[in-house]
Amino acid sequence: MSWQGWAFMIIGWGVVGSLFFWCFYKVLTGKKGNYNS
Amino acid sequence: MAGPRKREHWGSNIGLILAMAGNAVGLGNFLRFPVQAAKNGGGAFMIPYFVSFLLIGLPLMWVEWIIGRRAGVLGHGSTPGAYESVWRHPIAKYLGIMGILFPLVIVTYYNYIESWCLGYSILSLLGQMPSLPGLADTSVAQVLKPFSDFLSGYMNAKTLMGGQVVIPSLPAYLFFLFTFILNIAILALGVQKGIENLAKFAMPALFIMAASLVVRVFTLGAPISSDQTPLSGLAFLWEPQWSALLRPSVWLAAAGQIFFTLSLGFGAIITYASYLDEKDDIALNGLATASANEFAEVILGGSIAIPAAVVFFGVVGAQEIARGGSFNLGFVTMPAIFSSIPFGWVFSAFWFGLLFFAGITSSVALSQPVIAFLQDEYGFSKLRAALTLGVFLLIFTHIPIMLRGAMDEMDFWAGTFGLVLGATFEVIILMWFFGSDMAWEELHKGAAIRVPRFFMYITKFVTPVLLIIILGTWTVMDIITPAVKTVIQQGFLAWLRGFLGSGVGVWAGRLFMVATAILFAWLIKLAWRGRQTQGGKG
Repeated sequence: MSWQGWAFMIIGWGVVGSLFFWCFYKVLTGKKGNYNS
Repeated sequence: MAGPRKREHWGSNIGLILAMAGNAVGLGNFLRFPVQAAKNGGGAFMIPYFVSFLLIGLPLMWVEWIIGRRAGVLGHGSTPGAYESVWRHPIAKYLGIMGILFPLVIVTYYNYIESWCLGYSILSLLGQMPSLPGLADTSVAQVLKPFSDFLSGYMNAKTLMGGQVVIPSLPAYLFFLFTFILNIAILALGVQKGIENLAKFAMPALFIMAASLVVRVFTLGAPISSDQTPLSGLAFLWEPQWSALLRPSVWLAAAGQIFFTLSLGFGAIITYASYLDEKDDIALNGLATASANEFAEVILGGSIAIPAAVVFFGVVGAQEIARGGSFNLGFVTMPAIFSSIPFGWVFSAFWFGLLFFAGITSSVALSQPVIAFLQDEYGFSKLRAALTLGVFLLIFTHIPIMLRGAMDEMDFWAGTFGLVLGATFEVIILMWFFGSDMAWEELHKGAAIRVPRFFMYITKFVTPVLLIIILGTWTVMDIITPAVKTVIQQGFLAWLRGFLGSGVGVWAGRLFMVATAILFAWLIKLAWRGRQTQGGKG
């Protein structure tokens, strides 16, 4: 794979992966909503 | 008609996100995305894909959460009442027909496709799948023939009326009945006990199975040829073909993929968001839902089927497979690959198991708008609403199952065109009729994050324009151009003959959609008239 292919894959995975883990970190540690659990 | 009633609520934040992600993560994440990426410029496809995510996907995701939560607070969980809650106009409730009609039409055939996944998963475990004849010196089509024959035998055991009527095999029908009953049972249990519990089990299971398959694909080595490795598979998917960026069709394909993958325009997100309280966060939860879907699609979905196909069939073979479409990749190529690796039956069961979980979490979401409509507007209990839907589906699912051409026709109008149409209306209704400032205020009620204000302008100006362009292009490309071409080349009468003689299945599908739309219009009229009468008495 050329450096461009690697770059696209790493950036693509990096952006999506970071967003996913950041969101779930915020959801799991952030303020709790008004859910009737 | 029913008076105000206590509506259900989600039991937990994580349950809500998993259910929303379950709605979004479907068969398309693992089958449609890799095929689209491979066909439309590889790595370069990701540029229009991420642009579409930011300009269409994310704004629409928030639009649907805003409309849904507001509607739920006002006692509505489906689009007729939801649209009226943000646009006080007599026509708003009738525009809402789209948000119950399209998911209902889609689920009419989706349950059947979902049952194939369950069937293939169980048959893999039982060792009943065909085996590979050998990979050397034969074409891809020859190698895959036992598997394509198996699929067509599974779906079409017998044909009648010159092939217009199709009788599925007994296992296919039994797996469908089981899947159908399971769906109705989950819906009858309600939002918390049914849908949320399903998502809490199915979504982690789906991620674990997908991760196991990614590891297995990455450790395949080079069983056929030294230049056919998992890395060459990833290169096939990610190597950018820059010229693709100049093709409008690539941008259109990327926008379409974002639409399908996030399950936008169906009405299902609006219904799920209606089970929230006024102060529950929707800004972060909406983003988390979208991000979970993208993780399942870009990282997991892109690392299984296409890289595996390149390892076994090479880049040329994988291109041929990708041209054959998503179903060819999922139900023909993947079983062939699994049949040639040690313990392939386990991975085959995992593959179809994850597709089944992706399917069932989406099909209950597609069914819930009608359930919510019957509960909120007609006062039905959960059980009565689920059984009513069950009887309706049990009768009409036989149109796409048994009549050739019906499924494609229904998928085009409801599953492709309808979604963009529905989304165009909902973004205009919220951002222009309800008001963009008020919509942004709604988004930030109880919000755990603050969304940058430029997204408001994107949602108000850019998103509707892009949706109208997509809608216009599809109308011209898929409806007007083929018709005009036939009229010019063969004359109007030839076109009319072709249109009228589209086949029993196509016409049955069209008739079903029109009749259901009329039925919903009548039901909406009755429900609103009943409410007015009650209001008058009160």
